[in-house]
Amino acid sequence: MVASKKISSKIIIYILLIAGVVLSIAPFYWMIVGSTLPSGEIFRVPPKLLPGDYLAKNFQTLNESLGIARIFWNSLFIALVYTLFSTLISAMAGYAFAKFKFKGKNVFFFIILCTLMIPSQVTLIPLFEMMVTFNWLNTYQAIILPTLASPFAIYLMRQNMKAIPDSIMEASRIDGAGELKIFFTVILPVTRPAMAAVGIFLFMSQWNSLLWPLITLNSKEMFTLPVALSSLIGMARIDYGQLMLGTTLSTIPIMIFFLLLQKHFISGILGGSVKE
Amino acid sequence: MKKYMSVMLVMLLLLLSACSNKTAGDEGKIGDSKNPSGSITVWGWDVAAATMKAAVEKFQKQYPDVEVKVEDFNSADLYDKLTVGLAARGSGLPDVVLMEDERIPGYLHQFPQGFLNLNKLGYEKYKDSFNLAKVAAVQNEDGDFIAAPWDIGPAGVFYRVDYFEKANVDPNSIQTWDDYIEAGKKIKEATGAKLLPIDIPNYDGVFQMMMQSQGLSYFDNDDKIALESKEAIRSMEVIKKLHDEDLILNNKGWDGIVTATVNGSVATVPYGVWYAGTIMDQAPDLKGKWDAFYLPSFDGGTRYANVGGSSVLIPSSSKNQSAAYAFVEFFTTDTESQLLGFEKYGLFPSLKETYSAPQFTENNEYFNNSPIFKKFADIVDQVPQINVNGNFAKASSLISNAQAAILLENKAVDTGLNEAKKQLENERKK
Repeated sequence: MVASKKISSKIIIYILLIAGVVLSIAPFYWMIVGSTLPSGEIFRVPPKLLPGDYLAKNFQTLNESLGIARIFWNSLFIALVYTLFSTLISAMAGYAFAKFKFKGKNVFFFIILCTLMIPSQVTLIPLFEMMVTFNWLNTYQAIILPTLASPFAIYLMRQNMKAIPDSIMEASRIDGAGELKIFFTVILPVTRPAMAAVGIFLFMSQWNSLLWPLITLNSKEMFTLPVALSSLIGMARIDYGQLMLGTTLSTIPIMIFFLLLQKHFISGILGGSVKE
Repeated sequence: MKKYMSVMLVMLLLLLSACSNKTAGDEGKIGDSKNPSGSITVWGWDVAAATMKAAVEKFQKQYPDVEVKVEDFNSADLYDKLTVGLAARGSGLPDVVLMEDERIPGYLHQFPQGFLNLNKLGYEKYKDSFNLAKVAAVQNEDGDFIAAPWDIGPAGVFYRVDYFEKANVDPNSIQTWDDYIEAGKKIKEATGAKLLPIDIPNYDGVFQMMMQSQGLSYFDNDDKIALESKEAIRSMEVIKKLHDEDLILNNKGWDGIVTATVNGSVATVPYGVWYAGTIMDQAPDLKGKWDAFYLPSFDGGTRYANVGGSSVLIPSSSKNQSAAYAFVEFFTTDTESQLLGFEKYGLFPSLKETYSAPQFTENNEYFNNSPIFKKFADIVDQVPQINVNGNFAKASSLISNAQAAILLENKAVDTGLNEAKKQLENERKK
């Protein structure tokens, strides 16, 4: 009796889970199928559920209208450089806020947290004018630099760094290590999960970012993937096959990046939340 | 440690300054109005930008010293960039920008000094080359050209020839909106297809077309709100009747209209002529099954309206106005460039002298072998001139809301329109 009850509740759970899986995978599947069909076929009733043979043609038109390799490189370069430096900066800042005593520390930290509350639309126009003054329109640095210090990442790193016992640093100091050496050889390795979480977060936000790159980039050779994909949406004509293929391609790096770092991800997010 | 830090900071600064050098100093020299030279940048979107790129070749034969760079965005993105640039006092803007006509009054209202007055550069002389309604749409309140007229979208009703035959309905018999509704009922009975797609809460294009055929926008020509006029009320009543008879397919957005067009769930699509290009693109299998007739009328009034269309403007921040004007003048008045955009991308020119070209008069195989584009060209001059002002976009979204309330929540037509009018009045007071 008890066993059968267990089984039946398990069945129900599995049915719900399967429904959830189907619901979350279906749009992706549809996107992938769509990328192998000509535009008109995508709207057929009943819909085509199996991939068609239009993939190569879609790729060709996509490449003709965008120059996909260059766009991909732009996105990848920007996202990777940004992630690398931004993670490093937030780790350094987080470390300073967590472990050092200096004048105005709390005031500075409070100001950083406050910037989290300013909507990005407010800073858009002043920031844009700055870029124009620097003559940075249509350059990589216009996208990478303004958001290099991410308040959220700094906050997350600080919370994680707080959990590191002071005695590790003291021991290293007694052994004669300089502060930078302590940071790079002792602190960073210990906070790897948090760095991974921050890295994924920063990579995704930069990879998917649309508005700022759109405002600052003008020529097609400099476009990032979201900007380029958005330029495919025409006034009266949209080649949906080409668009689906572009979207499919743009999700691949994120998936790879996430799969590589996912085991650190959850532990990093939870890192600062429990006090032991 | 301090030493390390300062070294790193210095290196970072060096890196930055090294990066920024490459874009500086490419402004170059500019010429005068007789001999424009130097380089200009032009912003457009998809097929329009493609037409611009194609037109540049011929332009450069005439003006070999001017270099033109066309940059291509989707239109919503282009407006974002334009608004930010104008708000930043003209920084980062191109020398020429494409804009939909219905957006022009809004931008002029928000940025009165944002664009050049083309009359001052001599565009006045082309006044009679375009139809009246288009000219009115691109002039400011003083009757000066702010934008140079480019494409237009005379409206009609695209219909499925095979559905009409199956239901035994003669498209020529549809003269008024009542005829249209009667035909819709028959077609639905015979084929199961609904009559037309409308994204009820978001799209008031059908209402707009009805109003324009009666000589109104949301405002009359004295700039009074026309939402409680008898024209507005009978337009909304027709839409309500269409919905009561279950003839409207409530599909979401642009994709919804395209879907309905391709999969045969509607028998007609009232739209601008440029929709012909979309039909041919997305539904190549339906060749020979589409054609078009003019909009139905109210009590024998006019059957003409316009949906969409765009024009080109010169932001006042342009550093090379003579070259920008040379391009604008060429691009909007060169017959060959108009035909190029029309033939390749279905962009319907507003330059009247193009309509006698064979591309306009010949029969079109896709559209049931009828001279479909001639049909549209014939009515261009008769499209009523309407008053589009800075509140047009706001009015459009209020009417969409009213349409949703009337059709989906059973609000009475006059109360719905009355509320929209009151909201619009409040909006105008701001």
